[in-house]
Amino acid sequence: MGCRDIRETISAFVDGEASPEETASVRGHLASCERCRVLERQMRAVGAGVRQVRGSVSDGFRDAVFSRLEAEGALPPGKKPFPAVWRWAAVPLAAAAGLGLFLLTSREAARAPVPQGPVAARVEMSAPVASVPGSPVPGPAATPAVPTVSPRGDAAALSTEDREMLALLDILEDPAALDADGDAEGMDLLAPGASTDSPNSPRGGRSGA
Amino acid sequence: MLLFREGSREAFEELFSRHHRAVVRFAWRMTGDPSAAEEAAQEIFLRIARAASTYRPTAKFTTWMYTVARRTTLNYLRDTKEDGEKVPILSEGEGEGGVYPVQLPGPDDRNPEQVVWEAQLTERFRTALGELPEGYRAAFVLNRGDGLSYEEVAHVLGVTVQAVKTRIFRAREMLLSRLSKDVSA
Repeated sequence: MGCRDIRETISAFVDGEASPEETASVRGHLASCERCRVLERQMRAVGAGVRQVRGSVSDGFRDAVFSRLEAEGALPPGKKPFPAVWRWAAVPLAAAAGLGLFLLTSREAARAPVPQGPVAARVEMSAPVASVPGSPVPGPAATPAVPTVSPRGDAAALSTEDREMLALLDILEDPAALDADGDAEGMDLLAPGASTDSPNSPRGGRSGA
Repeated sequence: MLLFREGSREAFEELFSRHHRAVVRFAWRMTGDPSAAEEAAQEIFLRIARAASTYRPTAKFTTWMYTVARRTTLNYLRDTKEDGEKVPILSEGEGEGGVYPVQLPGPDDRNPEQVVWEAQLTERFRTALGELPEGYRAAFVLNRGDGLSYEEVAHVLGVTVQAVKTRIFRAREMLLSRLSKDVSA
């Protein structure tokens, strides 16, 4: 198969979508064709490039969506954290619970020191929830929704993996520079003999709701 | 989605929480414009909510969601007079050999200009993506950007898997060609 005929299959190969027969064919061709090896790497690079195109939306995005839905009657109104009768009882109940917890932990602390690791882990896990700006329903009834819609297009978001991939667009023009930088090992990972489970293979995120 | 259909607001909030980033990213990549992306993303969630009463779990939710998302962004693009054929398919002679002289500045962790490099790179890709025909762009974005398989992309776009394979290949060719022109310009 000639270069022109196999290019589309190389594209599918890069995406991990080539059949076993096509994969064998592509591997065989790449082993003997430097030009197509270059093309294969460039194909991987543009795949990494598209993931860098990320925008952002305003902080009010979530509220705008939910307001419009509520106005249409497509979304039930948000529930209050507590019924009115219980709302007044919340403070003394919380105080009593806090006192009980304090007494319990004090007794536990007297028996043995609390390990630091788990405590730190709890703090890390709870911190993002506590710092969510504009959380619509505070308190125990708060939903897991985290309306921080900010997939920023900032350059800092570029992962090392993608950066290396994109750099191939330039590095391929000067293989000597590659060796000089000591990146030859990284290139080997992208050689045609490498398996299709490369960093550029289709990602997850296919879970349903 | 089924819980939301039964009237659970919390179910929709959970759905929003799980998927809003993907929806915004998709809208951004398809429109290439901040305000259009935000409007489209809002509309996508409105359509999802409105469709709850008729939703049937015959396919994965994400596949259905991207179908709604794609149709919504397509409407936006049509409203802005995009006809989906702004860039012609490469002629046989173009990109001969399939290797493109793409030259972009290389990153270097020790180089303080790395951030600028990445920003420029992102902008070039955004522009090049925007010049793809909508059908090619959608296929490429769904597969490379959102991680859908060819079969899932085919389902979303309503085409065959072979058509997806061809569209993604064509998209790659055009992107490489466009990025090389950027350099030579």
